[in-house]
Amino acid sequence: MPSAAIVTNIQGYSIHDGPGIRTVVFLKGCPLRCKWCANPENLQGYPQIGFISKLCTGCGRCAKTCRFGAIIPGNGQRIDREACTRCGECVETCYYKALIRYGETKTSEEVFAKVRRDKMFYETSGGGVTVSGGEPLTHPEFVAELFSLCHGEQIHTCIETCGCVSEKAMEMVLPQTDLFYFDLKIADPELHQQYTGMDNAQIISNARYLAKNGAKILFRQPLIPGVNDSDANIEGISAFIRSLNRSDLALQLMPYHRMGLSKYAALDQPYELEEIQVMKAEEVETVRKKYEELGVSCTVSK
Amino acid sequence: MYEIDHSLLERIDKLDLSERNKIWREEVRKAPWKVYVDRERWTVESWKETEGQDLEIRRAKLLEKVLDNVEIAIHPFDEIVGRPTVSVIGCQTAFDICGDYVKDIWNDSGVIGVTLDASTSMSQDDLEVMREAAALFDPSSLPTKTYAAWRELVGTWAEDAEAAKLKDPGLQDGITPQTTSTFNWEKILKVGLRGFINECQEHIDKYIAEQGSDINKIYFWKSAIIVLEATIRHAHRYAALAREMAEKETDAEAKAHLLKIAETLDYVPEYPARTLHEALQAMEICSVAKIYENPQQNNSHWGRPDQYLYGYFKNDLANGVPLEEMASQIADLIGRWGTQTFVSGEVNKETHQINFGINNFMVGGLGHDHTDMSNELSYLMLHLVALLKLSSPTVGLRWNDQTPDWLMNKAIRTNMETKGGIPLFQNDKITIEHYMEDGIDFDEAVDWRGLGCVYPSLPNHAEGYGSDGIAAINLGGLMHLTLHNGIDINGKQTGLATGDPRDFKTFEEFYEAFFKQHKYLCHRVFWLGAVARDMRPECTRTPLISILSLDASMDLGQDVAHSHPDYYMCGISDRAIVDAADCFTAVNNLIYKTNTLTWDEMMKALDSNFEGERGEEIRQLCLRQPKYGNDIEEADSMVKRVSEDSAKIIKSYDNSPFHSFIISREGLAWHYFGGLGAGALPDGRKALEPLNDGSLSPMRGMDVNGPTAVLRSACASCYSDISYSAVLNQKFSSSLLNSPENIDKLIAYTNAFMKNNGTHIQYNILDTAVLKDAKKHPENYQDLIVRIGGFSAYFVQLSEGIQDDVIYRSEFEI
Repeated sequence: MPSAAIVTNIQGYSIHDGPGIRTVVFLKGCPLRCKWCANPENLQGYPQIGFISKLCTGCGRCAKTCRFGAIIPGNGQRIDREACTRCGECVETCYYKALIRYGETKTSEEVFAKVRRDKMFYETSGGGVTVSGGEPLTHPEFVAELFSLCHGEQIHTCIETCGCVSEKAMEMVLPQTDLFYFDLKIADPELHQQYTGMDNAQIISNARYLAKNGAKILFRQPLIPGVNDSDANIEGISAFIRSLNRSDLALQLMPYHRMGLSKYAALDQPYELEEIQVMKAEEVETVRKKYEELGVSCTVSK
Repeated sequence: MYEIDHSLLERIDKLDLSERNKIWREEVRKAPWKVYVDRERWTVESWKETEGQDLEIRRAKLLEKVLDNVEIAIHPFDEIVGRPTVSVIGCQTAFDICGDYVKDIWNDSGVIGVTLDASTSMSQDDLEVMREAAALFDPSSLPTKTYAAWRELVGTWAEDAEAAKLKDPGLQDGITPQTTSTFNWEKILKVGLRGFINECQEHIDKYIAEQGSDINKIYFWKSAIIVLEATIRHAHRYAALAREMAEKETDAEAKAHLLKIAETLDYVPEYPARTLHEALQAMEICSVAKIYENPQQNNSHWGRPDQYLYGYFKNDLANGVPLEEMASQIADLIGRWGTQTFVSGEVNKETHQINFGINNFMVGGLGHDHTDMSNELSYLMLHLVALLKLSSPTVGLRWNDQTPDWLMNKAIRTNMETKGGIPLFQNDKITIEHYMEDGIDFDEAVDWRGLGCVYPSLPNHAEGYGSDGIAAINLGGLMHLTLHNGIDINGKQTGLATGDPRDFKTFEEFYEAFFKQHKYLCHRVFWLGAVARDMRPECTRTPLISILSLDASMDLGQDVAHSHPDYYMCGISDRAIVDAADCFTAVNNLIYKTNTLTWDEMMKALDSNFEGERGEEIRQLCLRQPKYGNDIEEADSMVKRVSEDSAKIIKSYDNSPFHSFIISREGLAWHYFGGLGAGALPDGRKALEPLNDGSLSPMRGMDVNGPTAVLRSACASCYSDISYSAVLNQKFSSSLLNSPENIDKLIAYTNAFMKNNGTHIQYNILDTAVLKDAKKHPENYQDLIVRIGGFSAYFVQLSEGIQDDVIYRSEFEI
């Protein structure tokens, strides 16, 4: 039996998530709760219903459909999250796509059948498949199976991971993974705990494990002003990367943006970083240069 | 293959428009659009003078009269001289070719709609000239005589089918009498017009010596000599004007410039061009003379200038001619031909939605030795197009598996500069193979070039596409006929009575009814086209276009108006295949496979334009059926099936002239027009709304699986087995092109499509205006994805503030 995972999206022509043209498979479930997360729909390990209020015309069909009385009329919150069983029937009846379902269970074989359809684009671009999320390694068997099928057809594989998973999970996927996009968010364990809900001990340990075992890694830091752009953090992360003693290890900065805000609203979840402003390109460049001065090869994601 | 000087490419990248180019651009922006009656004054006078003479000779003398007498001008910013009007934005009329085709002249207001959104006021005197010309030429014009013939055969059916947008163009469009050809530029530059004249004279002498009996041949060669001599004299008139202006000119540099112009025009186009400047100047005078012969044939169609001008370009560079000087001259001509206007027929305005004549040139592509011939001039021409930022001319890149990365990279960057569409990418190999399957040798096929938008044509061939009243048939309109027992959108029985759909027991019955309509329409259209084709030489001739385009015209002593197996090609575009296929898929699922709806429920919803009690519900059901463009086999295989069955009918018509009809599925802005021929359809489209754009583009907003799925669907449709061209428009937001790596990815995307037998693709880089429209009309942009480092979302789901942020980014990222 192939393993299954809850997939929110399989996205072709992804160009920021590894070499070439890629298909990104987004899986649900994440151990961290980073306050800046741009994909909050992928945090919970179960399907969820979202509501895009601006697309709603107030036709009321969802209310008629819902068997659990979980639809709230009016112009405010639409879904009574307590009453909602996440059955998704309302999504089917919404003409205007104001109600959306995040997450559908799929097996590794089903996902592979889908991603291999874009093989012709991987071939001309040197691209492949990237699993992201959420934290894809909450489903290590699924990822290992999917990647193994990919390697069977010479399709390049990449994982975007927060690193906060068991070493066993890393071990399971290591032989099939051509590239790890590995997040290093905050060097200080306490700050890490404060902003992500967990400290970084496991992350550090996994990074060392992958580095030692010859994995190809690109470290990535979501750059959040006032949170992890301090000199202390830059020095901390640099020191850690240098300590791995591998000259090929580089860091990519991912400047903070607020594009995920609409998704928080769709899920009726609060967004805690309201006061943070987007960094100017020059400010990002200053951070990048500091890393370079500290001996870490550093780029900025577009 | 050429050896490429990469340092030259770097120098080209640094070039800006010249001062003269920039002044020209300002002049064009502020100049009012004008329609001139200058030409028409002389056509009328000449026609009266030549009454009773042979038609070919009369047409030659008409052009001679115009070339010898029209007012000419030289502007201080002209690098190359010669325009069909004295102002920078203007056109002449063609009553002598098209008959009474500008209906506005009969209004006393004197306001004439020129093209889509430009009009001009005429003086009463000018109106009188046009009215006299229209009255003089209309009774014997091709449109008038052909419509009369058609009425004899089928009553008002042809006009009814045109009114229902089932076929186009109509004969009143101004396209009808023109058989289009590209000039034989290589020969023009190599032997000069004097060479052509000598050759004509040799033919005459030989034919008389051999006691040939077809006097029409003698008339043709003599006519050709008349127009060629007149074209040379026209150049000399410019030379004289330049000298006259030089005498009065006080500025030394301007004076020298004018004297150089005079000297050049004394020599070309009469004699072979020796430099790039002479070549360009010779081409311009010939193009202008062509416009004077038929102002509706405003296309200069350069074909492959990066091939026949390359030798001049490299030679001049070696001789020390500054790159900047040559760039300025080329830009002058590209700009001039990109802004050539014409008075569009009423229907033509709707079908083409353009303000300028559709001129075309191609870059890159295979050569006779089977290697790719891209070169530094290809690169320079793309660079200049990007600097000019005009919507025209159409520029095509002939993609093949040898197309170098440096040219692809320049092409994608040019797309970004022009916000898309320029250049478009066409599959070299597929086009050549199609020609070879249709009996053309590789050596001829390899020099194919674009005609108008994406329609391919061959040098030394006449292309009848559109000229017989056959260019497009509307499968959206056919779907309407099938749903309404042959009654069209205007309530007339232009289709067959195939029965009420409520009585179709199976899906196959419905499908067959559609193709009965298709066959009926096609065969009538082809029949009437043949009538128009036979009528053409009785009504009009174009000796200059004939002699400068076709070797066969020279050899046979025959005007291009006569069809001939050696050179006559004819094509058709069966449009809205995807619309029809998505309708079939929806009907099959909803009515036959799942029994979700009855035909009665469907028809009530369609006939109320989805506004009745269950209207919106049924429309949503229709929209949710599998749609082409999402890499869904069920939808894509239906497109393939409809495409193949449509082609079978076209190819089954056995009365085509010499070759079977070329199927070439183009149509850039036609979907607005085509949409007016169909009420609400089972794919969920509302009445009279535009059909899908292009010929392979998915239904608007319905391709929700991303850009790779669209290309997979396009490949699965297998159009390349059937059609010479197939237009696929792809929209990309600038966030997908914001780094050199991402440009490389778009190149890889293009290469993947073409390697898998994609025929044609063009990119629209979504600018701020589009994103703003998406904010206002989310229903049309459900497919629009925004990608920013690791994050992606559908644009329409974003809140207004975030949408504004995306719009802001798009303004600055390119």
